[in-house]
Amino acid sequence: MSTTAEPRTIGEYYLARGSFKVAPRGPFADLDSVLRAAAEPELTDHDWRQPLEIVCVARGQAPAATRAMREFHLHATLRGDGGDGSELSPWWGLSSAVAGLSQMAAAGTLRLCAGQRIRLVHHEVFTPSRIERRRRIEETGAKYLFLGMTVVLVIPVVAVLSFLLWKAWPALSFSFVWENPQEFMKAGGIWAPLVGTFFLVFLSLLIAAPVGILAGVYLNEYARDNWLTRIVNLAVMNLAGVPSIVHALFGVGAFVLFAGMGRSLLAASCTLAVMTLPVIITSTREALASVPMSFREACWNMGATRWQTIRTIVLPNSISGILTGVILQVSRAAGETAPILFTGAVFFVPVADHGWESFFPYGLGDRCMALSMHLFTLATQVIGVSDEVQYGTAVVLIALVLAVNSLSIGLRMYLRSRKRW
Amino acid sequence: MSTPQTAPTTSPRAARHTFGASMRWWADRLEPLIEWLIRICGWSAILFVFAIFCFVCREALPLIGRGFDFSEFLTSTEWRPSSVVRPQYGILAMLVGTVSVTTLAMLIAVPLGLGAAVYVSEFCQGRFREVLKIVIELLAAIPSVVWGFVGYMVIGPVLINTTGAAVGVNLLNGGLILALMSVPIIVSVGEDALKAVPDSYREAALALGASRWEIVYRVLFPAAKNGLLAAVLLGVGRAIGETMAVLMATGHAVQIPYSLLDPIRTLTATIASELGEAVAGDAHYRVLFLIGLVLFAVTFAVNLTADLVVKGIRHEHDR
Repeated sequence: MSTTAEPRTIGEYYLARGSFKVAPRGPFADLDSVLRAAAEPELTDHDWRQPLEIVCVARGQAPAATRAMREFHLHATLRGDGGDGSELSPWWGLSSAVAGLSQMAAAGTLRLCAGQRIRLVHHEVFTPSRIERRRRIEETGAKYLFLGMTVVLVIPVVAVLSFLLWKAWPALSFSFVWENPQEFMKAGGIWAPLVGTFFLVFLSLLIAAPVGILAGVYLNEYARDNWLTRIVNLAVMNLAGVPSIVHALFGVGAFVLFAGMGRSLLAASCTLAVMTLPVIITSTREALASVPMSFREACWNMGATRWQTIRTIVLPNSISGILTGVILQVSRAAGETAPILFTGAVFFVPVADHGWESFFPYGLGDRCMALSMHLFTLATQVIGVSDEVQYGTAVVLIALVLAVNSLSIGLRMYLRSRKRW
Repeated sequence: MSTPQTAPTTSPRAARHTFGASMRWWADRLEPLIEWLIRICGWSAILFVFAIFCFVCREALPLIGRGFDFSEFLTSTEWRPSSVVRPQYGILAMLVGTVSVTTLAMLIAVPLGLGAAVYVSEFCQGRFREVLKIVIELLAAIPSVVWGFVGYMVIGPVLINTTGAAVGVNLLNGGLILALMSVPIIVSVGEDALKAVPDSYREAALALGASRWEIVYRVLFPAAKNGLLAAVLLGVGRAIGETMAVLMATGHAVQIPYSLLDPIRTLTATIASELGEAVAGDAHYRVLFLIGLVLFAVTFAVNLTADLVVKGIRHEHDR
């Protein structure tokens, strides 16, 4: 068979699967013979994911990657715009594609110039249409947009925290934590404020934990769904939302002046306790709510009263969840500054440097130092404090709070992993 | 007294062999008392909110009898509390300061916070999601005084170098810090709101051929709009009430800001910085408590609205 050849199409044809650089067959004299070779079973049964390429090169030249190409599709959705024969694609297999191309070549509608090639590409049947492609782009775009927003939040925080750590590194040492502030805060460590923070947190915990846990028990076990419960819930939420400085004013009005405690450790702890109460209440309520109702029902059926059920079934099964909330309260109380500013924390208290006294420097009625307050005064009130000491104080405070928080998170994850119901 | 042997487990005599048993016996015997204790503790939250209101009022209200000018209090920008000749207590500048820094913080925090909430809730799975939630939780745990320190020592110098501002502690600095502080609550409440939308909504939209972007934009946002609004409101409440961070990062100048780089002062910062100097019982001291009362009322209103809005969404999904 002879093709209807124009002068420009005189050339040699090569045939290859996959990349042309690997093993082209040929040369073939005309398009018809190359198509016949393409129809051979060994070639059609070859790995069908590889594209099949027919290239036309000027006589005597080696087959090389060429620029212009026609692309036909196997198993593809309609894609060609017409004119170059690609409107005939898709074909449902390589053999039918080659047969179709042979017909076109015989009819003279398929011609190749030197430097052109035909490429038969396999597509999956469910190749996305244009609309679907647009949607996929939109979806990926949305995903990365939201990821970007999250990253924008997380990155600066991580950057700032590492910057703080980097600046504080020279100051951090065992003695920095262990020593008392000296020379009007300009030298020495942070032992006195650290102990003060421990005292404040411990006392506020002692006050807030029983009340908070019992309040959580009330809300989950006793409260009915009525207006009173609604108001209690609203009050808990509002107590959590009251600004810390208003808590400070309350502490001044109620504990320092009205109850006559004066500015003291006790007044500051009471203020902190009121402020952190909602944390304990809400987490206790959630911990109790996660105990299945069937546990309680089983216990009631044994003849136990409501309180016996709570004591023997509900509380033991939720004690670790309650503990999580208590730990959160500790972290919150340790970091707060505003409520203790006017109720008991002061700028400086002389504290014994070593011995028994250095561990228990503050009585209930004494004013005390606190780490958060210490950081505030170092940064804004005292002139001439070295940067390392300030950053060191900040880093110790962050580390303390984050460590306590991580403890709570770790406990929660551990509990979730070994939950039995 | 005649039947201790027949019912040993219920008898006090038989049960009180060990300390634990005796404690349990008493714990059951005191049940009515304990139940009342639990009730009282449960109501304590109401008591405390009420007590906060009362004690702040108790210190602030004696102003009324002394010819205190309330219209000047709300409309004047002159704040000269320690003036010997004529002390003036106008909080307008500080009110504007609070509003502007809160607005700026929300302009930054709301899009980012809601975006992050959508990402955590809809686009992210498995371990990565757990890690992100933990990071955001830890973000919420960083104390406000540390944020203030960061604004004062880190962001301030950066702002001076990049914008050429006269002082680094200004409205922009405070807005950035407050935005970072109020983001965690927006993310966590917003995520809860998105999680509260039933999965059937998502499935229906998917079955209609919606992409995930369309699900978020056309289905989840309308369905969860109340919860998302509550998230924003809680963020606003947090930003208004924040004290230490704005005290350290906003520059402490009583003036109405005209640009992002003007230093300002907020209501909370005023109380925190001046209560220590004010003499108890003085007019200045009482005015500070009055500011506290204003703050209490504003945050109470914001939180109440958020709560009502959340209640609204809960009823809607219950139907």
